[in-house]
Amino acid sequence: MRVSIKEVIDELRSIVGKEWVVTERESMEGYLRDETPDAIRPKAAENLVLVKPSSTREVSEILRYANEALVPVFPVGGRTGLVGGCVPIEDGIILSLERMNRIEIDVENLMAVAEAGATLGDLIKAADEAGLFFPLHPGDEGAQIGGLIATNAGGVRAVKYGVMRNYVKGVEVVLPTGEVLNLGGMLIKNNMGYDLMHLIIGSEGTLCVVTKAILKLYPRSMYSVTLILPFNKREGAIRTVPQILRSGVIPLAIEYVGLKELNAAAAHLGEEWPIQSGDAQLLVILSGLSEDEVYSACERISEIAEKNSAGEALIAETRDEQERILRIRSNVYTALKKDMVDILDTTVPMSRLLDLMIKIDELSKKYGAYLPVYGHAGDGNLHIHVMKENGEIPSYADDLKREIYEATISLGGVITGEHGIGRLRIKEFHRFLSKKEINLMREIKRMFDPNNILNPGKIFP
Amino acid sequence: MSSIDQLNIIVLLKQVPDIEKVKFDFKTGRLDRSSAEAVINPFDLNALEAAVEIKEKVGARITVISMGPKTAEASLRDAIARGADDAILLTDKRFAGADTLATSYTLACAIRKVSSYDLVICGEKTIDGDTAQVGPEVAEFLGVPHVAYVEEIREVKRDRILVKSKMGRNYYIIELKFPGLITVTKDVNTPRLPSLKDKIRSRKAEITVWNADSLLDLADERYFGATGSPTTVAKVYVPKAERRKGKIFRGDLERAAKEIAIVLREAHVIR
Amino acid sequence: MKRHGDVLVFAENNDGRIHPVSYELLGKGRELADSLGVDLNAVLLGWRMENEAFELIYRGADKVFLYDHPSLEEFDVIRYTQNIVKMVRETEPDIFLVGATRIGRTLAPRIAAALRTGLTADCVDLKLDEEGNLVQVRPAFSGNIMAQIVTKTRPQMATVRYKVMKMPERDTGREGEIIRMKVDVIEETGMRIIEKTRADEVEIAEADVIVSGGRGLKRPEDFSLLEELASLLGGVVGSSRPLVDAGWISKDHQVGFSGNTVKPRVYIACGISGSPQHLFGMRDSDIIIAVNKDPTAPIFNVSDYGVVGDLYEFIPLLIREVKRLIGGGKDEGEH
Repeated sequence: MRVSIKEVIDELRSIVGKEWVVTERESMEGYLRDETPDAIRPKAAENLVLVKPSSTREVSEILRYANEALVPVFPVGGRTGLVGGCVPIEDGIILSLERMNRIEIDVENLMAVAEAGATLGDLIKAADEAGLFFPLHPGDEGAQIGGLIATNAGGVRAVKYGVMRNYVKGVEVVLPTGEVLNLGGMLIKNNMGYDLMHLIIGSEGTLCVVTKAILKLYPRSMYSVTLILPFNKREGAIRTVPQILRSGVIPLAIEYVGLKELNAAAAHLGEEWPIQSGDAQLLVILSGLSEDEVYSACERISEIAEKNSAGEALIAETRDEQERILRIRSNVYTALKKDMVDILDTTVPMSRLLDLMIKIDELSKKYGAYLPVYGHAGDGNLHIHVMKENGEIPSYADDLKREIYEATISLGGVITGEHGIGRLRIKEFHRFLSKKEINLMREIKRMFDPNNILNPGKIFP
Repeated sequence: MSSIDQLNIIVLLKQVPDIEKVKFDFKTGRLDRSSAEAVINPFDLNALEAAVEIKEKVGARITVISMGPKTAEASLRDAIARGADDAILLTDKRFAGADTLATSYTLACAIRKVSSYDLVICGEKTIDGDTAQVGPEVAEFLGVPHVAYVEEIREVKRDRILVKSKMGRNYYIIELKFPGLITVTKDVNTPRLPSLKDKIRSRKAEITVWNADSLLDLADERYFGATGSPTTVAKVYVPKAERRKGKIFRGDLERAAKEIAIVLREAHVIR
Repeated sequence: MKRHGDVLVFAENNDGRIHPVSYELLGKGRELADSLGVDLNAVLLGWRMENEAFELIYRGADKVFLYDHPSLEEFDVIRYTQNIVKMVRETEPDIFLVGATRIGRTLAPRIAAALRTGLTADCVDLKLDEEGNLVQVRPAFSGNIMAQIVTKTRPQMATVRYKVMKMPERDTGREGEIIRMKVDVIEETGMRIIEKTRADEVEIAEADVIVSGGRGLKRPEDFSLLEELASLLGGVVGSSRPLVDAGWISKDHQVGFSGNTVKPRVYIACGISGSPQHLFGMRDSDIIIAVNKDPTAPIFNVSDYGVVGDLYEFIPLLIREVKRLIGGGKDEGEH
């Protein structure tokens, strides 16, 4: 940074007003971290200032100033990421859009116009009140729209409706120069040249700052249920997944979780997991227009599961019961977090899922490590956890991760399907992607942000 | 047919709107029940689960009884999927508009008609009415003892049950002889999920439907529904949020913390 | 003018002491009786309760119907119901009020059913219309609306929530009559107490200080931050409903319509926006302090002190300041 932090503070105060500039370290504690396990989370820099603008104009002025004064800017959302993507690792500005949280629902076009600081929970609620539905559910409803776009978030329910990219129809962004661009719109079809909007989705705050988005909503499904399918053998569970999809039934979500991990999550919440038989379980969320439609889908799924030796399926039908199951599933990560070194999100073609799991078993034996594995089986996306041993990061952690990544790549997969590169995956990213691709990406970064002020140290070393 | 040493348990169950979602119609002063999904009152699920656990331990025949519109059959089918053996729906225009007294009277008449029973189990309260009165009123109409707010069932014998309930500042372990009635809290158990098979089977299950005439050999029609209800809603309104002249701190949280700490000391909560 | 019956209050016996809600009911009952020009009476059941019966007079009762017998030492709903029903039939009160405690809510419905009279649950206000009928006000629909209920039968019975009515002053100069009633002794009621143990958890309804968390909390673990502040102030942690529903904290911590109504000396709302359902449960606290990021949050409308900011920034600062004062450290306020 060329200028002193004091100068930065004065400038920010003149833009947003004194009370929206936070300078005390202990007041910005929550902004210095994300949800990455403590063991590997990058450390925040020393000289930081937190600013909370209330409008796109203020964001624009902040970026224009930062770009001229060469001050790094770290845009943050709900700080629910898992790869240190929003951690301010250099002296500079933390930019939180939390005050920009308006949401408007356009029922006619089935779209929401949401400011970047609105939370996922707010959006789900606003859509629901308008009789519509925003299905995406990466777990933590405190995530903000800006962050969901910057990281192209995934989570459960992607089987039917896809990931964040599939919802975004338009964005308002501020470039490092302070210029404001409106990309896309309330359109289903749009072929105006290169698609800059999709380039920005998943760019992890390194190209520009998203301030507003147009998001696709769906009609609220009239009827929905969650099935729990217990299997004694993991093979049966995994084999069931593509068979369900081939049968013509398209669930919102197909999740694979071990009973041990579900019990840990339930205990963490002071609840009980409803079924104690079957070490490997599939959770299937289904929705449809009528009870009959959903039940006939249930019957089809249960026939397939039975052929793969599943035990008796349970069904949750009320909102309460379905929310309880999703809540326990969403808390597997929180339950394991304190003993965790890292959470991976490797993704392979669905047909290779079982091969990946067998490989992980081999690695678990080789290293003598407990490797909890669960994830979005319907997307070929697995969360593999590297755990602490006796409260310490085991010496084999890096070797183990490398072997998991190598196995994933050899199965035609990618090292991250959801969490992105952030700070933590830079090394692997550069190892597993071709030089040409990396160079193209670098050029794009330079075009957008020639002074490298936006989220420096992320994606690229 | 139930065998002689099998217990007969009756579970009272109400279909309620999902209270988180339901809208209120200010013109009629009633809930707009079409605005939300209808579900089994959550406390009644605990009551049903308690019955099913007793059935698994000592054997029992479980009859669920509900009073409501014809659509409440869905909740009764759900109860069958969750382990009930028989289901009776009391539905009639003459039952409509009942307050807790008329409701309890009608339910008590239906219980009498069912035949001999050992134990009646109710949820602590319903989430829509929130009175917690129907269970005890039914017990009085039946002339049997009752224990409310049961949070644990300790032991079940052929002729009695041992339950734990909290009243005042104490926990009581109470022995209740049959026939008797208990109302259960959410702490008594975690209701299980039905299996898909049972759920599908229950969709075709037969529900016994009784109207006012079905009960007339045991009941006096004047005590049913709105006519039999001594209480009426005279008026509903939205409470006004009260305003205090609040002092608002913005921005300087340091100063706010200092001042509020002094307020706390002056309120004698910092000693 | 129509001649009215008296007003009757059930005096709840809690291990040999009168539950404070019964005094609150005497306060309200006194107002009602005076407007109707009738007596205010109380009915008390127990064993060796004579001294407590005087307390009822000090708090406003004209007559106390005292049922004093070993069989009534512990609450038994059958014994209590039968004795009270008989007395009500004889004395024909117009209004009969019972505290909406667990004992009250176990007992009152049985009495109402036996008398075939109307009972309104969990009232938060009582008044009289022009004809002297009791208008019973209770929250409905999760506390987001209020309903006024009238009863066409007599007595008009209501259970009334604890801590919503004002506690009357204790006046030892008041005079009244204690009427020793003949007890119907019922040996076999079908119920027997096998064991009685004291429940020692903190009752949120009794706490002087409540530090409550709402949706502004990011994760269940963060209640520990509120706990730290609460324990420094000798208080307990509360919660708004969403977090209880989400399983973050147990139900007994819930403040609001569907949880506990509280009236502490100090209520600190952290990250609670202030839905009507929540405000209902805490708006009568003596001092309300709210911390919320949203300056437009409705909680600020009922607060004495509002802090617009992040609870994660503010609460640690407040903890520091409180510790400083507890430690007798130096601040501007110290001499």
